[in-house]
Amino acid sequence: MYELTGVGKTFTNGSRTIEAVRDVDLVIPDGSWIAVRGRTGHGKSTLLNLLGGLDRPTSGQVKLDGRDVGRMGDAELTLLRAAAIGFIFQTFNLVPTLSAAENVEAALVPLHTRFAERRRRVAAALDSVGLADRSGHLPSELSGGQQQRVAIARALVKEPRVLLADEPTGNLDEDTRDEIIDLIAKLWREHGLTLVLVSHDSAVVRHAERVGVMARGQLSFDSP
Amino acid sequence: MRLHRGYAGRVTAAQPAGPYNGGMFFFTYLARELRRRLRQAIFIALGLAVGVGLVITVTAASAGVKNAQAGVLKGLYGVGTDVTVTGPAPSPPKTGSGGGGNRTSITMGPNGAQMCTNGKCHSLKNGYTIDNLASSSASPMSESTVAKVAALHGVAAAAGGLLLTDNRTTISQTPSQPTSFTVDGTDISHQKLGPLSNAVTTTGRTFRQADSDKNVALVDKNYATSNGLKVGGTITIAGVKFSIIGIVTQPGSNPPDVYIPLARAQALAKNGPAGASLKNDVNTIYVTAASAADISAVQTEIAKLLPTATITTPSSLANEVTGSVSSAAKLADDLGKWLSILVLIAAFAVAVLLTMAAVSRRVREFGTLKALGWRGRRIIVQVMGESLAVGLLGAAIGVGLGFAGVAIIDAIAPTLTATLIQATGMHIMTPNGAVSPTSSHTVSVPMSAAVSGAAIFAAVLLAVAGGLIAGIFGSWRIGRLRPADALAKVG
Repeated sequence: MYELTGVGKTFTNGSRTIEAVRDVDLVIPDGSWIAVRGRTGHGKSTLLNLLGGLDRPTSGQVKLDGRDVGRMGDAELTLLRAAAIGFIFQTFNLVPTLSAAENVEAALVPLHTRFAERRRRVAAALDSVGLADRSGHLPSELSGGQQQRVAIARALVKEPRVLLADEPTGNLDEDTRDEIIDLIAKLWREHGLTLVLVSHDSAVVRHAERVGVMARGQLSFDSP
Repeated sequence: MRLHRGYAGRVTAAQPAGPYNGGMFFFTYLARELRRRLRQAIFIALGLAVGVGLVITVTAASAGVKNAQAGVLKGLYGVGTDVTVTGPAPSPPKTGSGGGGNRTSITMGPNGAQMCTNGKCHSLKNGYTIDNLASSSASPMSESTVAKVAALHGVAAAAGGLLLTDNRTTISQTPSQPTSFTVDGTDISHQKLGPLSNAVTTTGRTFRQADSDKNVALVDKNYATSNGLKVGGTITIAGVKFSIIGIVTQPGSNPPDVYIPLARAQALAKNGPAGASLKNDVNTIYVTAASAADISAVQTEIAKLLPTATITTPSSLANEVTGSVSSAAKLADDLGKWLSILVLIAAFAVAVLLTMAAVSRRVREFGTLKALGWRGRRIIVQVMGESLAVGLLGAAIGVGLGFAGVAIIDAIAPTLTATLIQATGMHIMTPNGAVSPTSSHTVSVPMSAAVSGAAIFAAVLLAVAGGLIAGIFGSWRIGRLRPADALAKVG
């Protein structure tokens, strides 16, 4: 379970200070799906980075299962990301030289998963996103939707507890967008994931259990 | 596998038994990245290769020149000799002394022309041959000096020798050209020191202990060929016939023409054309130091013992060698060395800049890997591995280029010459006093560039170092990379 208390994040650019996230209080129960929408530049991705341990808050606490992520050392944060948090990015962020299977396998490298198990998991992950027959293809040989499916398989192959998706359909056409969202929803249900999805697309966020809005760094929720 | 208990969730489940093969992923990733950046990798590798190739070529050329120089020196003093001690150059005769104790004159008598030396006259009707064996380039030293030198600290062995010249002039009513050849009086009990040490007997045999008082001689192959001398024949030295027992050849240049036992040389030779006998004297002492590190100390010790003697070490003798071999050595040492260093610096700089540029282009990739839980160290190892592979590729190509360069040098290198300027021992009286002219001896030196294993190893190390330095700079960038920043740059 995530517990965010008075979380703030400021960036300094020369003499200018930008408050990307301001005083966010939030509880995300295990297995829930929260969507955050809002305009570009209003702090959605920054909030996601704080949840994923990719960045540290300037103020407040980001607790996961009672432990303050912001106070963890680099090694512990790295281990947390490796074992418990899966990321999906808008631009897929696949390594262009590695095949679909190798991109998925890259997520298991820091876990020192044994070779045979790694192969089994990779095959299962690609199968779960419908790309079992594309495992040897390079990202450049796949469509945008297929690349995002590979990225989803990469995020889920380590069986994380948390999935953080940053505009996962931002680079996809409408049909593909719907396919990907349906896939994410299916996997969320099957795996019991805690899912935080950031998007500016209302068609995407409506699948979530709760939808928050980030405006000028502040998060607010519609009344249930 | 150790994971944080609170966050590991299902991942902490025991992994099935089986080999962990993270190394395979490392090599797969490395190979794919190099293939993606093939042109850049080849460009960096070629830059390093040119540097490595130049280092190997220049080192080989330099070694070839040094070998050529060593060949010249070996021919002069033989293998295994670290220090050579020669007596001081002979003093010029005092004005009016008449050139020594012998007085020679040619007079016309009742029976025609005759030559008289110290009152003893010979008719020149049938010609008269003067054949003397003399030490002309160095003053003699007592043979007991050899034992004193041998007893010095740091000296492994010492042997005396007489480097002599046999001059033969026939005076007759039909004058002929005077002839001369060089003779080495060899200490038969120390044949491993001195000019005979690196000679190879091609016909006959070499000296035995029993030959020490016999009139036996070894003749250099070139001299024997040009003068029709063979084993079993004779050669006249100082008017005495010596049996030729062997023909020898020298790998170096400028060897003595004839070798005779030291005792016989001492008995027949004189200090200058009309000087005193050299019985119990030597004019050269060949010294082997206990180790190469002792040479300098031995040189100092001998200088204390024999303050007027000329002490020569291979390095000091090399400085006296002039000619194209010396110019080539200077060229290899100066221009070649600096050219190699400049090319290597340029190659290193190019490798560093291109690696840094590649890392900059891969910021998103590294940020993603960090988001996936890759440690910075693991990413650095990956980048260093790529740089190392490029370095090794550069080394491999560089070694090939180096050998090609060496082959080109061997094919086009002109024959070098070495000129050694030596005192002649002659003194010419001029209105301004005595002048002691020098003679220069020029020999052709074949040059063959020599590639050594050490040079290849050093060059490969340089290329690998170049790759690693480039990798370190790239890694420094990665180390400073924060995943959120890296991913933000994508957006």
